[in-house]
Amino acid sequence: MTKDYDSLSPDRGTLSRLLGYMLGGDNRARSALATAARVVAILGLAALPWITGQAMNVMNDPSGTTDELNSWMIAGLVAAVVYLLFSFVSDRVFSRLATNALYRLQTSLFSHMQTLSMGFFFKNPVGQLTSRITNDSEVVALFYEQGVGPIIRAILQIFIILIVMLLINVPLTIAALIVVPFLIGSMYIVTRIAAPAFALLQERVGFASGFQAETLDGHKVIISKKRQAWASEVHEELAGDVYEVGRRAFLASLMQFPLTQTLILVQTVFVLTVGTLMVIDGSTTLGVVMAFTGYATLMASPLGQISNLVSNALNAIAGGERVFEVIDEQATITDAPDAVEYEFKGGRIEFTDVDFSYVPGRRVLKDNTFTVEAGESVGICGPTGAGKSTLINLLTRYYDIDSGTILIDGQNIESLTQESLRRQIGVVLQEAYLFTDTVMNNLKYAREGATDEDAVAAARKANAHDFIMELPDGYDTMMTERGANLSQGQRQMVTIARAMVADPKIMILDEATSNVDTRTEKLIQDGMRNLMDDKTSFSIAHRLATIRDSDDIMVLNGGEIVEYAPHDELMAARGFYYALYMSQFKGKAPGGEEATKVDFVST
Amino acid sequence: MQIFSLVTEYRGRLIVSQVSLFISAVASVGFATLVAPMVNQGMVEGDAEAALRFGFWMLVLAAIAGITMAIAASQAVFFSQGVGYVIRTRLYDKIQEYTFENFDHLSSSQLMVRLNADVVNVQNAMLYAILLALYAPFMLIATLILSIINTPDLVWVLLVVMVVVVMVLFLLIPPIVRAYHKRQHHLDSINRTLTENLSAMAVVKAFIREDYEVDKFDAPADLMRAASYKAAWRVAFLAPMQTGIGQLGVILALWVGGTQILTGSGMTVGQMSAFTTYLGLVIAPLALIAIVIPFVLRGDVSAGRILEAYDIEPTITERDPVAQLDPTEVKGRVVFEDVSFSFVRPDGKIDSPVLRHINLTIEPGQKVGFLGATGSGKTTLVNLIPRFYDPTEGRITIDGADIADLSRDDLRAIVGIALQEAILFQGDLRFNLKFANVDVSDDVVIDAAKAADAYGFASNLPGGWEAPVARRGYNVSGGQRQRLSITRALTAQPKIIILDDSTSALDASTEGRVQEEIPVFMDHGTVIYVAQRISAVIDLDHIYLLENGEIVAEGTHEELLATSPLYQEIYESQLGEGITEGLDLTVAE
Repeated sequence: MTKDYDSLSPDRGTLSRLLGYMLGGDNRARSALATAARVVAILGLAALPWITGQAMNVMNDPSGTTDELNSWMIAGLVAAVVYLLFSFVSDRVFSRLATNALYRLQTSLFSHMQTLSMGFFFKNPVGQLTSRITNDSEVVALFYEQGVGPIIRAILQIFIILIVMLLINVPLTIAALIVVPFLIGSMYIVTRIAAPAFALLQERVGFASGFQAETLDGHKVIISKKRQAWASEVHEELAGDVYEVGRRAFLASLMQFPLTQTLILVQTVFVLTVGTLMVIDGSTTLGVVMAFTGYATLMASPLGQISNLVSNALNAIAGGERVFEVIDEQATITDAPDAVEYEFKGGRIEFTDVDFSYVPGRRVLKDNTFTVEAGESVGICGPTGAGKSTLINLLTRYYDIDSGTILIDGQNIESLTQESLRRQIGVVLQEAYLFTDTVMNNLKYAREGATDEDAVAAARKANAHDFIMELPDGYDTMMTERGANLSQGQRQMVTIARAMVADPKIMILDEATSNVDTRTEKLIQDGMRNLMDDKTSFSIAHRLATIRDSDDIMVLNGGEIVEYAPHDELMAARGFYYALYMSQFKGKAPGGEEATKVDFVST
Repeated sequence: MQIFSLVTEYRGRLIVSQVSLFISAVASVGFATLVAPMVNQGMVEGDAEAALRFGFWMLVLAAIAGITMAIAASQAVFFSQGVGYVIRTRLYDKIQEYTFENFDHLSSSQLMVRLNADVVNVQNAMLYAILLALYAPFMLIATLILSIINTPDLVWVLLVVMVVVVMVLFLLIPPIVRAYHKRQHHLDSINRTLTENLSAMAVVKAFIREDYEVDKFDAPADLMRAASYKAAWRVAFLAPMQTGIGQLGVILALWVGGTQILTGSGMTVGQMSAFTTYLGLVIAPLALIAIVIPFVLRGDVSAGRILEAYDIEPTITERDPVAQLDPTEVKGRVVFEDVSFSFVRPDGKIDSPVLRHINLTIEPGQKVGFLGATGSGKTTLVNLIPRFYDPTEGRITIDGADIADLSRDDLRAIVGIALQEAILFQGDLRFNLKFANVDVSDDVVIDAAKAADAYGFASNLPGGWEAPVARRGYNVSGGQRQRLSITRALTAQPKIIILDDSTSALDASTEGRVQEEIPVFMDHGTVIYVAQRISAVIDLDHIYLLENGEIVAEGTHEELLATSPLYQEIYESQLGEGITEGLDLTVAE
């Protein structure tokens, strides 16, 4: 994503939105307070060169008295203390506003994401979304904490000091200002070179680290195919690109320091020289000139910071845009305005002529029509990619269908509130996802208000209770990230138990692919059977043994329902199901029957 | 700071940078020294010509200070970017020498941090160190010396101010560092909560726990806010604090010095104004040092981590090839002689054995399968054949030659493998398929693709053989990736091929087709399958059943069905009850 740096004017929309989080709305009073405190502090600061100048006049005056000096010095003390005190207040308030703003941004982003539909999460990889919080909002945080306050301070300081200078002595002000156009000009040039260079640097760093990630993750392939030399070669080139652009970018941006320093020194020379000449011809005093050397620096140093602050702001805008991209995203599946609560009446499900495509034009389900009576179990099978998991997504309304109708207990699925629907539909997913929390909390997650007893009862029915009690802390054992301290099979049993705690009336089970040992498999299948007992249920099988006993088996091929009948009927029919079933035996089936190879839609 | 050992070739430039800084410091201090006479002769005595002369020289010094600083900065950038380049490339090259075991000890995400964030820390440390390590102390010392010479009565003010600034920095900076640590810690928590939430969104929605998740996120976000605030206001206050103390120092100096001037004790106004400049010259370097120290500390820690990864010894080294096997003459007979294997942990401790006393012989041209549950040791077993790991005990031979005696090039040419996780690389399809053998002809690739049932969908991809493959191959489905991975292994035309669970995403029918075609392509080569599904191994020449690292049974499908309780169990659960009616089975406990 390359930014157009030819126009240095920032995108108004994003910048003002970002500032709104920090300074707007309820925070307006506090922002005003912080700004006012800043102004007072700067006034205190502005008094000091004048005071020290006058003090030097006193010293220079043969008739100067220590009393006069003392009063100026006390005034100076007061001014310095005012400056410190009010800066302290202002910095605290701005920092408070800044950290609150980031908090608001992060929590808004998170809570908004909770409202988005599943389609969004299928499309956007987790890594990219978390980067919005870890990378993009961090850049915004830097802007809030070290950008906004300093920018306000710099602007106020430049203007206040300038006014004070003009009030005191105009010719000296002009002498001090001669340097300013050069200062601004050189900052502009530095930014013109540095900003695009940094953007390019980010890109190149992205390429290099992307290649690193790919080859490190794929190290087994590289080792097994002996391509280490190739990897090193490519990496060297990419690192070289980073080096070249990095040098350019950092050199350009570092140049601002010697430039600023020199220009400020030059400014001091002008003020001193012009001032000396003016003192000599009597148009001003030594004290005023000395004061002006102080003022000149006070005005010029914030100017020197401006280019840093500008690039800080530009980065924040780029990051802010990406954060707002997500915040502005709308849920695609919403409750209808007149949505009603789902009333469970047994769990009868009717699909009529249902069409569905994830991507327009590529139908994943075609003309699906079937009816499942209350309490019936349906097993779903078919080749990979046939559309099995899609059925889950439709029943739980993670997606809306293209055409046709889905009725649940006679109610159109799209007329119901999503919450009431999902409360009654339980899902056990292919990947057994558990949180880093205790086993008990994971089980109780299923239902707000679930008790420990509910959890244990469910665990027993899912055959999970025994192995949970053997864990180091029993139900209070903490799961590690993604539940890694349990075996795959055990994780599945916990998710089955979890689904039972929610006690839904309709069940959908997407079977994990077979990577469990056989003893655990038996327990899992048993648990699943308990779960589906007496409920309308759908199970998606990769092992046909699991769905053999379903009331009906639905065979999907290429998105169409090609067969729908119980196991015995389908075996007798010698069709798709039969072929699929027998192909597992590769001609070694007991009874020695060879099935005809059927043409599966290979995807 | 051992990183310096990597860049001693550029010593010359380092010297140039420090000399430039020296000159720049001298010029800055010289500039300050000219203020006194400028004020005295120019304003007090009224000598216009002197004023102009001083003005001119001050301009010259200002220019010198700027130019030499710029030179030093350019060298500092050269070094810091150069260090980045050198570390990245050398560390990456070193990582390319790692073996499977080395990667077991240091994960790829840990290595990524060392290649990126740690390198950046070292770069920053280097940049600041070069620019300020000598410059700041020099400015301080030079200014002190000048003050002792020119304004001896006010030196104590200088010292007082320095002490106060250092004290305040000590008060402000350690809490900042601590607060940043806490902040990063909470940012990690936020990230973890967020990642879990996003990965499990289907679960969150299924159980309607969005509100609960929002509350869960709020806690670390709030903690982060508190820690950020502790750091933020202190960081913001650093600059005004410096300025304020500086100004108070000026007031103090003026008071003391001014009183002396008024009571006639010999100090001049010029000295006064020189002193105010000295104050400025002293405060800035102090604050800079304070800011630089955390960067240098961080850089040092990062340098240590980088060296840790760099100093790792690869666990498998190539002995001088004693045996020579002409890859084209190899028959493909693999023998395991009492092989046992245990993983070694990063701290050197040895785990309990994963493979125990494996003895087997695979004849040339055989199709064999290794069957077992997760953790039974099958992947580890086959990983020994291409020598990804060395056995802890025993040895493995191919055609009678110990594989440890073969050169790695020869071994890779003989043994091909399609790994469990099918990973492709960003590039075009042809690049990926020829990855194992860059010089192979397109015809071979096409034949291999047909054998792996990949030709159909591959030629239909937009772009054909030039079709782009995204990072990790995620723009094709899991089943397609597996078939491409098999194709890639086949194009190397090995004599022995290992397919580690590489047909798990295919349905049984497609899998059967592929299993028929591969031996034909392999032209009497040995084919080794690793699987969890019985249907994958059911019609192979010989099946080895593994449990807990041991071969508990072997034979053909019929033999195993009749004699092995474990095999019967697996068969029952995967292919269903009732099917086994009529066969003499004993069901497991």
